[in-house]
Amino acid sequence: MMSIEASPSLSSVFSRIARRELSVALRNEGQWLNPLLFFVIVVTLFPLGIGPGPNTLSIIAPGVLWVSALLSVMLSLDTLFRTDYLDGSLEQFVLAEVPLSLIVLAKIMVHWLMSGLPLLLMSPILGVSLNLPVSAFGALILSLLLGTLTLSLLGAIGAALTVSLNHAGVLLSLLVLPLSVPVLIFGASAVSAAASGQAVLGQLALMAAFLALTLSLAPYVCAASLRIGVAGSN
Amino acid sequence: MKPKRKQRLILVSLMVAGVALAVTFGLIAFNQNIMLFQSPSDVAAGNMEAGQRFRIGGMVVDGSVQRRDTNLDVQFSLTDHASTVPVTYNGILPDLFREGQGIVALGKLDDKGVFVASEVLAKHDENYMPPEVAEALEKAGKMPGTAANYGNTTLVQP
Amino acid sequence: MFKWIHRFGSPPFVYRLSGRIAPVLGVLCLILMLTGLYLGLVVAPADYEQGDSYRIIFVHVPAAWMSMFVYVVMAVSSAIFLIWKMKLADIVAQASAPIGASFTFIALMSGSLWGKPMWGTWWVWDARLTSELLLLFLYLGYIALRNAIEHPQLAARTAAILAVVGVVNIPIIHFSVDWWNTLHQPATITKFDKPSMHPSMLKPLLIMVVAFQLLYFYNLLVRVRSGILQREKRAAWVAKELEN
Repeated sequence: MMSIEASPSLSSVFSRIARRELSVALRNEGQWLNPLLFFVIVVTLFPLGIGPGPNTLSIIAPGVLWVSALLSVMLSLDTLFRTDYLDGSLEQFVLAEVPLSLIVLAKIMVHWLMSGLPLLLMSPILGVSLNLPVSAFGALILSLLLGTLTLSLLGAIGAALTVSLNHAGVLLSLLVLPLSVPVLIFGASAVSAAASGQAVLGQLALMAAFLALTLSLAPYVCAASLRIGVAGSN
Repeated sequence: MKPKRKQRLILVSLMVAGVALAVTFGLIAFNQNIMLFQSPSDVAAGNMEAGQRFRIGGMVVDGSVQRRDTNLDVQFSLTDHASTVPVTYNGILPDLFREGQGIVALGKLDDKGVFVASEVLAKHDENYMPPEVAEALEKAGKMPGTAANYGNTTLVQP
Repeated sequence: MFKWIHRFGSPPFVYRLSGRIAPVLGVLCLILMLTGLYLGLVVAPADYEQGDSYRIIFVHVPAAWMSMFVYVVMAVSSAIFLIWKMKLADIVAQASAPIGASFTFIALMSGSLWGKPMWGTWWVWDARLTSELLLLFLYLGYIALRNAIEHPQLAARTAAILAVVGVVNIPIIHFSVDWWNTLHQPATITKFDKPSMHPSMLKPLLIMVVAFQLLYFYNLLVRVRSGILQREKRAAWVAKELEN
């Protein structure tokens, strides 16, 4: 019943799913534009709420940038699996010969390209506006690179758990935000440390450790919860 | 080997490699020895520049606390039993601040090598005992957390 | 041996057994709690440094320990449910969540009451308080997820995955918060070994720890019994049981 031709290599599965996802995403500007706009607007709100003093702003800048990035990633993840769930393609993924965790990983990576990467590129500009010292920009970008990837993977777990619900936005954040505390702590701390001229290797190494851990476990957890979600709806 | 089983083997080995990678990064991070606060010896060795904000931790030297009558200015010395650093602070000290107690202060050095603290922090230790016992221990010089027993205390977290 | 274990898969057996054990646990818990409170609040002397306000540890510390213990019970039974599809394990996890959340809430409240005399504010971002707050969020997330999904089978399995993910994350969260706290907050000078306590204070604390443990198991059994009844409401044995 299963022939060798029917089960393509892992890398070709990954690239095919990734290409499909990418072309779907590129046709829909909202998917990359909305999280980016959200990020910019939330960061803008902080000086308006706290006051324009450059000294205050440069102290809070690492935390503001990090919290905004965290919220933006979380809010964009709501629909990661839901459209596939509603139109039935998720069921096909579950039934497919290829490992579901790999398909999930491809989807998450494309999602990060569309939502996490723009944040990364935008962050130095916002850093300037918040009076963040230039010495911290390297740490800001590196920590956001490691951190938003981890957040996308963690958030995907939440999205997979809530796939059968119609609206999960707030619930998803409630589930995932406590889990993302370590990323926030070390991300913001790396930027603050760099701003005051201290070494950041420790924080970045820990963030890399979090990323490696979530990268190797999250796709399996997502796959397991998607299987449950698809099976439970029948 | 069946292709499907081979695929699964590849995925599982990738997962194991990922966890191993996480452990490696974790070990690198722990070898970095992130400094929580500087000791008076670090300051005496000239490791800190004037004007740079940092945390200093040590014991308040017995008899060094001087208060003004007119305002909230306080002066005291912090020691790690190797070097001593003078500290000034303007504000209300925490209840548990007393001579011989360990504290952590946040601030910066001025030009004269005096540590100007913007925040002084002291927290209760983890010893619970009736006052009489504390008194007896004090007499015997075995009170935990005091200078006499500084050797067996370590700077750690709450 | 296996027969004995299998009986715990049988709802009527568990229902009747827990019905017999629960009152015993309840009475024991009440006795121990009253003894512990009497010894702790009346007999034990005041602390040399904190005066009478330290007495809150007789509630605070057991509640904080139980908040973590209950989460572990919840995660382990969720894992059992996911692997062996044992329904009773899911009932235990579901019943534990609100109890654990309550213990966490008590620990937070009493910690905050302690903070007022000790630190001068109701809330400090102390490492333990912050970890405890995040634990409360994890409990609330579990309960919210369970309530959000209507299909009971789906809700049970989804929530079970969340509980297992949470328990893997708790040590990492705890470590991060500890680290964050030492960086931003007062570091303090303490000994590496266990907090030393005078026996007159340690004894009531230990009694209270046991009492809280019993309180959990008593509540758990009561909730498990009603959980069983709810799920088996159409079974013949339930009708027979409730007739008597």
